[in-house]
Amino acid sequence: MVNYGGDEVSALVVDIGTSSVRAGYAGDDTPKAVIPTTFGYHKAAPDADAAMPDAEDSMQSGPTKFSKMYIGQYGPTVWREGMEVANPLNEGIIHDFEPISALMRHAIVDVMRCNPSEHPILVTEPAWNTPANRERMAEIMFEEFQVPAFYIANTGVLNAFAAGKGSALVIDVGQTMASVTPIVDGFVLRKGLVYSALPKLVHAHARHILVSPNAHRRGIDLYPHQLVSNKMPVEVGTPPRFTLREDRVKGTTESWRTWYETREVDEWIQSVAGVLEQGWNDQVAASRPPRQYEFPTGFNSWFAQERFSVGEQFFWHSPQLLASNPGLPKTIPALITESLRACDPELRQVLVGNVVLTGGGSLFAGFGDRLSSELARSFPHVKIHAPGNPVERRYGGWLGGSVLGSLGTFHQLWISKEEWMEHGKAIVGQRCK
Amino acid sequence: MSNAADVRSILELPSASSSATPVPTHKKLSLQSARKPDGISRELFSLIGPSSTTLVAQLAKPRLKQKPNLGAGSKIKWEWRPFKNGARTDALRLSHWAKATADPDAEYQFAKYNVQPATYTYSQDEYTKLLTEEEWSKEETDYLMDMVREYDTRWYVIQDRYDYPGGPERSMEDLKDRYCSVCRKLIRNRPWAGDENGKALLMNNREVLRKKYVASLESRTPEQIAEEEALYMEIKRLEQNERRFKRERDDLLRTIAGIESGLPDIVEDEMQLNGLLLDTKRSKKKGGGGADLESPSTPLFSAPIVRRPPTAKNTAYDLQHCITRTDQPALASTTKAAHQPAYLRSFKLPFPKSAIAPKVTQALAELGISHTRLALLDASASLVETKKVVDKVEYDIQVLKSRLGMQGPATAKVEEEADGMMDVDDGNDAEGEAEGEDGRAQSVVARAAPGVANRCSRRSMSISSVETSATVSTRAGTKRQRRS
Repeated sequence: MVNYGGDEVSALVVDIGTSSVRAGYAGDDTPKAVIPTTFGYHKAAPDADAAMPDAEDSMQSGPTKFSKMYIGQYGPTVWREGMEVANPLNEGIIHDFEPISALMRHAIVDVMRCNPSEHPILVTEPAWNTPANRERMAEIMFEEFQVPAFYIANTGVLNAFAAGKGSALVIDVGQTMASVTPIVDGFVLRKGLVYSALPKLVHAHARHILVSPNAHRRGIDLYPHQLVSNKMPVEVGTPPRFTLREDRVKGTTESWRTWYETREVDEWIQSVAGVLEQGWNDQVAASRPPRQYEFPTGFNSWFAQERFSVGEQFFWHSPQLLASNPGLPKTIPALITESLRACDPELRQVLVGNVVLTGGGSLFAGFGDRLSSELARSFPHVKIHAPGNPVERRYGGWLGGSVLGSLGTFHQLWISKEEWMEHGKAIVGQRCK
Repeated sequence: MSNAADVRSILELPSASSSATPVPTHKKLSLQSARKPDGISRELFSLIGPSSTTLVAQLAKPRLKQKPNLGAGSKIKWEWRPFKNGARTDALRLSHWAKATADPDAEYQFAKYNVQPATYTYSQDEYTKLLTEEEWSKEETDYLMDMVREYDTRWYVIQDRYDYPGGPERSMEDLKDRYCSVCRKLIRNRPWAGDENGKALLMNNREVLRKKYVASLESRTPEQIAEEEALYMEIKRLEQNERRFKRERDDLLRTIAGIESGLPDIVEDEMQLNGLLLDTKRSKKKGGGGADLESPSTPLFSAPIVRRPPTAKNTAYDLQHCITRTDQPALASTTKAAHQPAYLRSFKLPFPKSAIAPKVTQALAELGISHTRLALLDASASLVETKKVVDKVEYDIQVLKSRLGMQGPATAKVEEEADGMMDVDDGNDAEGEAEGEDGRAQSVVARAAPGVANRCSRRSMSISSVETSATVSTRAGTKRQRRS
């Protein structure tokens, strides 16, 4: 046990991201509970879906805003009449704490079957989290969940730990945010921290490609499968033949529809889109084989060059696009350059030699290869650590938390309930640097 | 083993004599009574019988290795037990699994890693007496010391987090310098100071300068980098030019005045020559031009040759004793390669290349000249070579002509040119023929029937005809050689 410094005190690790909430025991290699952060809710009295069999166990009653919440695997993805969906996170940080406790309770109590008052809990936060936010999180944990001990750790640092590094340049591409965080000896260099809502732009670009008509096809309908009652197989590129469930279309809320269309676009991106390894080149893009994709309406088509233009948005923006909207999120190379420029000249070589690529967005086809070729262009000795295992890539932050929470030497850092009572909110800022 | 009884039984014959039967049955019974041991096949056992005990012992069924007995038999009891962490200041009791036999009051095994760095504190009195500095206020110094303690002297982190309200922007070197100077002064002025660590001087200026260099190196624009590389290549090219110039000058001097005249004042620059030889070898290997011979990463400087000017006294002495001194390269004088052994001057005679040597001798024989004169040898060699070149050019012209498939005026023009060239050759021919014994048209020195070939080409313009003419001439040459 002493050999690797581990001492497990059955701590729990909770990692709240934009796409999912990950929870599990410290010391495990994968989170036990992964639930979507997005949740469904009813504003009005919930009479309409009383017949839904799966509604009961995921149901949580919020005190004020939501008369009924639908959380977890059978939460937002199930169609319910008049159900709205919402996400408590905005730009990677929590802006609405009300559903957070419900989400955590669902993950810890309903999925993991744990009593939170028996386990120390380690929660993660993005590097740009506000002090008020982390104090609020501590308050929820101590006051509502009655945890014996609590710690809040930075996802950048945890990602570096998950890669087994104390100093690293963490490139984290999530669902809505892409960030570059220099880590030195387990501390974030705040001056070098940069982030942008780049994945959102990529998503918007993909959606634009699909929805807007072009020379080969009309705009594609992104109806979710819950709204399609039946469909006929059609030839490639021909208009789809399907009938909508008119009974459901009426009761579908705008937020749910938008959210599900986002999912459709994401699915398309994950199965079809890619990025060229050596920068944009018309010939190379044309030489790559096209890919077929079928939408829930039955429409199917081959996607050739346009599938590579999606990934290009991560690395390069055309000057016209930049000129037309100045508030465009920065590309990955721009973020890296900016981050390194803010660091000490001596540190740059160290950081570039310890690049950690993480986050579910980095699983985008060809992303790692392109990043290494971009970096190799400007730095002589680049080494990128990118786990091949997709679970490690997606839940890197959680994994780092699992490593940290099971270390024997870490247990002196927990904020205990006693300390919380004694010092109040100030202890969070003092302890969790 | 088969006996008559077996044969009978096989053939289903009744037994010859009833008295013979009881014996085998009895035997058989006794065989069955001896039990067949494990690990031996039935067929084999029936062959060898129960007698071969040694074999049976070897064929016994192998046993697996005995399992190791771990844990000394008894079960270990583990229990979920709260522990006290000595590194914590509060009374938090976390629990972990521990052996039931372990001492519950033992110190937590990871508490020993909680090492606090040595910190320096000072009183107000000490500060005013020792540590006052214009640029730093007491409050900011306190803040700095706190930061250093909090982040365990991780200077990159300290510099990142350093944010003293109202204070000026501090570089990492400023922070380090201040901290170290404070510690140094405290250590020197305290009676218990035995620690040498703080006495190491931090060279602030050097550090700043070095950081500046690093920064400027990184902030070079691509144009600047390109210019730097271009300049480097330029230097290399100049060096190479100079070397080539020097070598040519040496060659010239050697041919005009040097070795033939026996004058010792030509210095063979061994180092340079060796370098050149190496260079040419390398270029041959690489197959590249001279420009990209050396990459900027592997600079190769030619060593300058130092020559001692001869003093007046020495020269006078030399003149008196008829001594001629050759300058020796300073570095290479002792090596074996640089040593020049004594040699006959006849070794310096130019010899025709081995490839053309037979032709030269043949030509000389044809012309009936004795080849004792060196100049003649040289001249004939060059003559043979010229002829080779002419043949080649001729052939090229033929090929090009046929390939162009030209007609009319174009043909005439090219022919004129060809004729123009031929005039010179004809002169050669005439000479060769005049000097020849019987004026044979097809001599080695003369071109291979130029008129004929030309006429041929004018008529047919086929390549094959040219080729045949060429082969005819060479064949003729070889024949003649054999004859002579």
